[in-house]
Amino acid sequence: MSLFEPFQLPFMARALIELVILGVLAGTVGVLVLLRRLAFVSDTLTHTVFPGVVIGYLMAGQDGVFWGALAAGAVTAVLLTVLSHRRRVSEDAALAMVLTSLFAIGVVLVSRRTAFTSDLTQFLFGRILTVTQEQLVQTAVVTVLVAGLLAVLRRPLMLRTFDPEGAAASGIRVGLLDLVMNVAVALVVVAAVQAVGTILVIALLIVPAAAARALSDRLVLIVPLACLIGALGGWLGLAASYEASVYHGLRLASGGTVVLVLVVLYGVAALAGVVRRRVGLSRARLGTPELEMTR
Amino acid sequence: MTQQQDRTAALVLEQASVAYGHVPVLEELHGTVRSGEAVALIGPNGAGKSTLIKAVLGLVPTVRGRIEVLGVTPAQARRDVAYVPQADTLDPDFPVSVEQVVMMGRYRKIGWLRRPSAADRAHAAEALERVGLSDRAKNRFGTLSGGQRQRVLLARAIAAQPRLLLLDEPFNGVDAVSQHALLEAIALLKQQGAAVVVSTHDLAIAHLACDEVCLLNRHQFGFGPTDAVLTPERLRATYGGHALELRGDRVIVTQT
Repeated sequence: MSLFEPFQLPFMARALIELVILGVLAGTVGVLVLLRRLAFVSDTLTHTVFPGVVIGYLMAGQDGVFWGALAAGAVTAVLLTVLSHRRRVSEDAALAMVLTSLFAIGVVLVSRRTAFTSDLTQFLFGRILTVTQEQLVQTAVVTVLVAGLLAVLRRPLMLRTFDPEGAAASGIRVGLLDLVMNVAVALVVVAAVQAVGTILVIALLIVPAAAARALSDRLVLIVPLACLIGALGGWLGLAASYEASVYHGLRLASGGTVVLVLVVLYGVAALAGVVRRRVGLSRARLGTPELEMTR
Repeated sequence: MTQQQDRTAALVLEQASVAYGHVPVLEELHGTVRSGEAVALIGPNGAGKSTLIKAVLGLVPTVRGRIEVLGVTPAQARRDVAYVPQADTLDPDFPVSVEQVVMMGRYRKIGWLRRPSAADRAHAAEALERVGLSDRAKNRFGTLSGGQRQRVLLARAIAAQPRLLLLDEPFNGVDAVSQHALLEAIALLKQQGAAVVVSTHDLAIAHLACDEVCLLNRHQFGFGPTDAVLTPERLRATYGGHALELRGDRVIVTQT
């Protein structure tokens, strides 16, 4: 399999750059999503952005997709924050209702189009191979914004994630911080929606972060590792789908291949994690007598 | 109350009632905790001990009366108040080291962006030393035992240099070594002039560590010097039918 040759084609090069940037963005936010156990909330966001994508597309064509997604993402982020801070409805049930009803609106809207299936496929699974220069710029801007925001807020975010009561006790506005977090997830979805679609985004968020967590116990390593694994998955996935399509007559959807490669990378990381823990445990066992000697 | 006493009062409850929304949780609390003193909050589960701690932190509103912390409102006093949650409410898988947890106590002084200074590191190291866990600084928080995690959380609070320390059930499920370490660290904080509020089920610990006791079960059943307040009659009143008298002057609580 050739890892470099496909990317001499301009459209493949653009796809690669897009996936590498998305890998960095989703990796960073994904670690927080993983630690806060917000996978389901994030999944809800990916589904609720869908009607925004459809409405944007119906109103302004391909250019409207980003802005439609942005509007829907912002509204859902606020809604989710408010819902999770008043526990009138069981959180899961509330999320499931929001998720399915908004998703249904998107499906109903898109079904009125003549090119129904092709449009639907595009929104759900993205079109990584037709990424434009402009989309690359959009993704890069979103990435810089989100990474900057999280870097500035890293201490309150860490405290809130680890110890919500302690964070509130020390005067941190937890509600506001949760809103920022939900907006960050929404921005990842918005940035990724044209390239990989609303369904596969969740894999970009969760899988690299989970793999990185298996590899390390230190946050300063987990975040860059997640970015690296996300970018690596994008690269290997694109190369694999190109190879299969061009040389073996097997049409593999790029987005889906990327996700599958990420899952394989997670498998490798999880195995490495098991080994790492075993080694750590045996080291700890060896270390115990020494500790007692020093006391 | 004289001017002198006013200055040293760390926590003042004045006919204070606390409520979540329209549901009153605690009513008519009245008492004072001075700097250098420790008070034990004692009462059955659901009595409102945690709610009182949250009210002192300004996280639950006082609907009637007044709660004054270090001479100001609870929300204004947060900078000088440290809170120690129960260790088992925290995610043991969280990727954070012991020294990082202790450093969180310095966040308010460090701010959002600045790197921790040498002084911040020294305060954190000293706080960890005080709970006897310096040798575990580099370990992941979740790999420690429950009692050790509770000590790390106390070290985090000590690192913040509080004038009022609030502890929520710090002795629950804690081994004897850790209990001793916690008690020593709390005693030293008192000596240095901090006021301490600690909720507990353990009457023996209240005797050991605290100068005063506040008996709570929705209402206040007593607030004052430990020996005067921890009487069989008052305990029976606080715990309803779940307090048994032993040999006339001692009481055990059969259900918490």
